[in-house]
Amino acid sequence: MEATRQIYWNIGHGVVMPMYVLAFAAIGVMVWGFWQRLPVWRQGKALNRFDHFDERVKRMIDEVFGQTKIYRVTDGGIFHAIFFWSFLILFVGTMLVMIQADFFTPVLDVNLLSGEFYKAFSLLLDVAGILAIIMLAGLFIRRFITKPKGLEIVRDDYIVLQLLFAILVTGFLIEGVRMAATEIQQNPALARYSPAGLLVGQLFSPLTVGALLVTHKILWWLHFVLVLGFFCAIPYTKLRHIFTTSANAFLAPFEPKGSIATINMEDDTIEQFGAVTIQDLTWKDIFDADACTSCKRCQDRCPAYATDKPLSPMKIVKQIGELADGNPGGNLIETVSQEALWSCTTCRACQNICPANIEHVNKIIEMRRNLTLMEGAFPGDEVRTAVSNIEVNGNPFGLAYAARGDWADGLQLSVMEQDADVDILYFVGCYASFDKRNQTIARNFITICNAAGVKVGILGKEEKCCGEPVRKLGNEYLYQMTANENIELIKAYNVKKIVTTCPHCFNTLARDYKDLGLDIPVEHYSTYINTLMDTNRLKLTPEPFSFTYHDSCYIGRYMDIIEQPRNILLQAGGSITEMDKNGYDSFCCGAGGGRIIAEEKLGSKISEARIKMAVDTGTPLLVSNCPFCLTMFEDGIKTGGAEEQIKVRDLAEIVAERITA
Amino acid sequence: MKLLVCIKQVPDLESRFKPDAAGVWYNETDLAFRMNEYDEYAVEQAVQLREKLGEGTELTVISIGPDRVVETIKKALAMGCDNAAHIQDPAASGKDPWQIASIIAAYSKDKGFEIIFTGMQSQDRGSAQVGVTIAEQLGFACTTTIVGFDYDNGAITAKRELEGGIKGVVKLKIPALVTCQLGLNTPRYPTLPNIMKAKRKEIVVIPVADILREEALAATVSFHPPAKKGGGIVLEGDVADLVEKVIAILKDKTAVLR
Amino acid sequence: MKTLLIGEYREGKLLESTYELPGFAEKLGAETAMLLVGDESQLPVCNGTLYLADAATCGEYNPDLHKKLILETVQKENPDYIVFLHSSYGWDLAPRIAASLKIAQISEVIGIQDDGSFEVGACNGKMRRNVKPAAGRAVITIQAGAFTAAEPGGTPTVLKVTAESGGALEFIGYEPAEKKEIDLAKAEVIVSAGRGVGKKDNIPVIAALAKALGGELGASRPVVDAEWIAHDHQVGTTGQTVSPKLYVACGISGAIQHLAGMKKSDFIIAINKDKDAPIGEIADVLVVADVMQFVPALTAKIAK
Repeated sequence: MEATRQIYWNIGHGVVMPMYVLAFAAIGVMVWGFWQRLPVWRQGKALNRFDHFDERVKRMIDEVFGQTKIYRVTDGGIFHAIFFWSFLILFVGTMLVMIQADFFTPVLDVNLLSGEFYKAFSLLLDVAGILAIIMLAGLFIRRFITKPKGLEIVRDDYIVLQLLFAILVTGFLIEGVRMAATEIQQNPALARYSPAGLLVGQLFSPLTVGALLVTHKILWWLHFVLVLGFFCAIPYTKLRHIFTTSANAFLAPFEPKGSIATINMEDDTIEQFGAVTIQDLTWKDIFDADACTSCKRCQDRCPAYATDKPLSPMKIVKQIGELADGNPGGNLIETVSQEALWSCTTCRACQNICPANIEHVNKIIEMRRNLTLMEGAFPGDEVRTAVSNIEVNGNPFGLAYAARGDWADGLQLSVMEQDADVDILYFVGCYASFDKRNQTIARNFITICNAAGVKVGILGKEEKCCGEPVRKLGNEYLYQMTANENIELIKAYNVKKIVTTCPHCFNTLARDYKDLGLDIPVEHYSTYINTLMDTNRLKLTPEPFSFTYHDSCYIGRYMDIIEQPRNILLQAGGSITEMDKNGYDSFCCGAGGGRIIAEEKLGSKISEARIKMAVDTGTPLLVSNCPFCLTMFEDGIKTGGAEEQIKVRDLAEIVAERITA
Repeated sequence: MKLLVCIKQVPDLESRFKPDAAGVWYNETDLAFRMNEYDEYAVEQAVQLREKLGEGTELTVISIGPDRVVETIKKALAMGCDNAAHIQDPAASGKDPWQIASIIAAYSKDKGFEIIFTGMQSQDRGSAQVGVTIAEQLGFACTTTIVGFDYDNGAITAKRELEGGIKGVVKLKIPALVTCQLGLNTPRYPTLPNIMKAKRKEIVVIPVADILREEALAATVSFHPPAKKGGGIVLEGDVADLVEKVIAILKDKTAVLR
Repeated sequence: MKTLLIGEYREGKLLESTYELPGFAEKLGAETAMLLVGDESQLPVCNGTLYLADAATCGEYNPDLHKKLILETVQKENPDYIVFLHSSYGWDLAPRIAASLKIAQISEVIGIQDDGSFEVGACNGKMRRNVKPAAGRAVITIQAGAFTAAEPGGTPTVLKVTAESGGALEFIGYEPAEKKEIDLAKAEVIVSAGRGVGKKDNIPVIAALAKALGGELGASRPVVDAEWIAHDHQVGTTGQTVSPKLYVACGISGAIQHLAGMKKSDFIIAINKDKDAPIGEIADVLVVADVMQFVPALTAKIAK
């Protein structure tokens, strides 16, 4: 007997017309639902996210069908991915049945769904259905029973989970009833290829054929109505993420990470800076709210949230959505709260992990821009002072600008003003220039360069703050002022290459300054030293030590530099014990986003939380490669009372001590 | 109503000061300049009053000095002053307080200002004379070192800061001049639209020779670093050693540790 | 040479600092006459002519009237120098006298030079200036504490003066300082925190040293302004003037207002990262160290 089945068995071909009409109506409701969202999204400002079209499509296919982003976090992620693939198989399978019934059979008179293919098809769909039910059960248990901290339960969760469960179960019931009346009796060999259907069918076998036919009809229509309901529910429930989150994989930015729109200060027609209402954001910022599934992965990784500050990146995204929906004229900053905005360290942990490609950080920066540029607001008076110090002396400490190069007294390097013929320009930054502890980074870096025969120049008193902290606090005006002075200077010296020890200077010079016209290769010392070692210009004599390494946000997440610093430290004789949160998942020291110049008044200290993670590795040494991190950790070790357990040192210190004489 | 605020550009006090070639003032190399702190309080108070009085009020800012002071004038304009006068004087640092006050008084004489704000003193020279002297020359009522200001119906109620935290409350009829002290207010940070607007505001430039008719009454004959007090010990080095040394000194020189 | 000294009187009391005026005149080697708007029952204990106006009728702060009294006295005495304290009273009144007489004023004098010039501070105490009046006469304000007060002694020859009130300024009254819970003036040991301690969280470290030394916690003005420490702990011209047996300045660079308030301390130890901080000028011991490293170590050692 041939392995196939009669499509529309018991339902009859008469159903085709009403079925298609209803299906298209449901799809119509869905499209209408999204159509109604258009004006909501369009409240935002224009932004081109349709360039790089091919790459965007490719990325979307990767992320959606590969489930690559969701899969990165196993909790929830595995259930979701397997459910997605299973459901996809069921969907494709159902489509195939429809195509067979209404196209291949009537038009071409071919039956694809027969023979060995049909056996495999049956088995695959049954397995997919079982898997989908199991995954759904997992998701159900996670949502309603184990309830991970921070996971919210909303109306949509009941609707979506129950609806999907009902669709899957009715699917198996239809199959079972049909098989009870047909396959189990007529073709038991084939029935084995639908194991779940067989099982259900056996349960129904005691019924009479008449009863089976009636039950089947009822179930079929029930299943069909549920599926229609599913389509209709998509735009009105979290199910919308099937489209919005997928779309976001297409719409995600192609600019380098950390790119912030550079305001044109020459344009004096601009009267509104930053975002205080929904309309000041871009349409993508509003769309992001629809792409958010409240998976709270961002919140789980937010250092401010973890230390009891009033910031949750997820909440901000939702608040934007709520305003866009219900109160388009509402004050965005009041809704989100200044405290939440100022708490952000721009560490990018939220954005990095977001499976929906939501851009949290720039939303916060846009709102900060409004606070700073339109209101003259600061997170605290200490920031007001630091900002004014940067204006006057080019450093946040308010120390005499003329003393900026004093740390280099007696060292073998050249000050550009006197001799600009150098291999690299070392852009020192404020902390390594003025702060005693951080000056050791600068001095050791010079020692390293000397050993490698690299001729180093510094700008000395001509150097100014790169502008990073104030830019991240929203003060684009001051940022551009100080940045433009640095750029003019660097250009005048005909610099070939810039190396920084500060990741914040590094990102700013390498990426942000491009918008202002500086296009010179910029490198961080962690990769620069690594290359010096790889090319044998710098030789180390390894000396064993055990350590844990902290990935600075602006080196790891922002610049994808994960392996090089570890490689240097391992070659220096180190043995590493990683913290749980490392690499792309590193936990901020608390100093990013301009927080370095602000006091941490809310919640507990981020630096102490990170130090605790380092202490938990059991190693006596924490190595970092950022002056801000070093500053925060020195502080966190003291205030957290960890002096006996751990010390913090900079990469340059470790390397300089091991230079082969 | 017309208001005037007088500001001075001074070096940031974190700077390192070296005498100039003549040895009577500081050498400007390596100095960072900013608005005199007390003048910031004066500008803020003047702007607050201007905002309170609203339409029909005009706030002028005046500063004397070389061209670099324009930067500081612009800051005052960005904070909310309406227009500015720059008394161009490359040698302003050589003028004594009497001359400086005379310049401002001469400028103000026919302008009809009713309230003048100044800082209580400059951070670099610290004479605390210019404000009061302007008032004397113009015949204005005057009070100094205010930490509280209120204006109503032709009269100013001001709180003066006295020694030991006590305050003296005074009432002055306008025309009047007040000199402003730390604690009066928190100067605003100019918003970007206001910085942009300030670029288009008028700055009248007046060469000092056109306006100064007075001779100096005092001359600086020397500018120098302070002599180190004899006998003071400077201890440097390892913290643990320092602690030992300080304990020894405390036992030896004071009765605090027994 | 002759000086007219303008004494000070506040809330019904002769200010102790008035004795610094004859101390200055003595150093100058000048004769003195004094003018005081005060009260007959509280005369300064000194010799010489004392022009006395009644504060009850002339007011303690009435610049126009006091100016008249001084100018009339100047006419009678024809002094070379009219000397005030550089105080809220002195710096307010002195320029009015100088302008009326059109003579130089030299503010906040801290020293007398041989060439007839006077030494004054500049750049918030970081530098000094010597200033010379163009004509012989001048109005002078002297920095509080810069000149040793004259030992009280003798009886003044009192000449009562008065003047008519008038002018556009009306004194309403005094407002008391915010309540003090501690009296630094009586403390034998004061350990003060300055900006150099870094942040509010570090204040307990300084307080712990104060406790270990059996003293009180003091503060510089910026620390009080930042609300790290309450105002009643503030040492300096706008806080309290103190003279303990031991003063420990932690992370205080030594703004002139602060120095003026504590330099009479018997023994001063300053802890500062900056070797060139102005506090070094008056400190008996300057410890060049990070406050947050040194102070806890010292406290621990003392506690043992």
